[in-house]
Amino acid sequence: MTNTQSSQTGNRNSDTGYEHLAPMFAEMAKLQQDDPRRGEIRNELVTGHLPLAEHIAARFSNRGVPREDLVQVATLGLINAVDRFQPDRGTDFLSFAVPTVMGEVRRHFRDASWSMHVPRRLKELNLAINSASAELSQRLGRAPTPSELAKHLNLSQEQVYEGLEAGNAYHSMSLDEALSPSADSDSLGETLGEPDQALAGVEDYESLRPLIERLPERERQILTLRFFRHMTQTQIAERIGISQMHVSRLLARTLETLRQGMLGDEPD
Amino acid sequence: MSVGSGDGRPEEVELKIGAELTNLPIIRSLASSIAMRADYDLDSIADLKLAVDEACSTLITRADVNATLHCSFTVSKDEIRFLVKIRSTSDVVPSSDSFGWRVLTTLTDHANSWVERNGQGGQPEHLVHIELAKRRAEGPA
Repeated sequence: MTNTQSSQTGNRNSDTGYEHLAPMFAEMAKLQQDDPRRGEIRNELVTGHLPLAEHIAARFSNRGVPREDLVQVATLGLINAVDRFQPDRGTDFLSFAVPTVMGEVRRHFRDASWSMHVPRRLKELNLAINSASAELSQRLGRAPTPSELAKHLNLSQEQVYEGLEAGNAYHSMSLDEALSPSADSDSLGETLGEPDQALAGVEDYESLRPLIERLPERERQILTLRFFRHMTQTQIAERIGISQMHVSRLLARTLETLRQGMLGDEPD
Repeated sequence: MSVGSGDGRPEEVELKIGAELTNLPIIRSLASSIAMRADYDLDSIADLKLAVDEACSTLITRADVNATLHCSFTVSKDEIRFLVKIRSTSDVVPSSDSFGWRVLTTLTDHANSWVERNGQGGQPEHLVHIELAKRRAEGPA
């Protein structure tokens, strides 16, 4: 985690906006465990440092884990950091908190990435298929078939089937996703607002609209591009900079969210 | 293994399963496995899977208690046909103006829905059907 190290150094001498909170740690350390003032200070410290948790969560966003989840995990990490920080050790709080919070978020990514145990060989196979699929899509101008993937990777078709099926064990977020750069939200901005016009012809538009508005931005874009712009998943994947398999998982999840939302909407 | 008999006759795969949303992953993975083994491209495999998911969810929400979902896939050389039906007290056909229907028509080459009325012995009983077809994508192969 070398970049963590450098960001600490950067924080130490610059204007962090948290300096006014620092003396409160010393004050809290002097109080008895059962002093009611202690709880108040703890609350103030957590609330005061919340932008830090949000900032760290933002650095990990657009990787397939909902932003709210990340903020929640980062906030938990922050609370742990506030509780465990010892001001008499000579380090400042940020140097202690940043790696603690980042560690918490990273652990969340690791735990959320595969919903069931998948052998390492299959994970690697799945990653190989993912990158071969991106390469072949470029060359063919369409998504490849399993037999084309098999030929390209010098594998049997059965192995390709296995690797593709392993992809289904991914939860909402995939390993390839965690390793890829986060999506550039600017490139998505241009299609904002479009579902609105495109959806106007749909009879359940009124109940659907708030549900779509509540979707994370990227999910909303993928939905629009697939169902109102009629782009294929491979084209969407290329445009957004994630794998086709990931587009597929996000779309499946989005449709499920919408269906559930519509059901919850009915009077009975 | 590949789905489809060697001589080019359509192959049928049938599945009867409880009309529960928790059973969707089984139907979904069958759809995906069939399209994969028929060597459809990855986009078409994913589309069929999503469409089957959507069609079955639509029917499950109108199912009678303890109803069974009847699914069948017919795999011919260049087309996979999916037919799903459910027993329901409602005889309302899934609306073709709904968002769900737009999802189905975008993802497949053909989508159709109809209700078979079976009112025997006083109890109204209807069979709601959804039929989808996904053709092999054309393109520079």
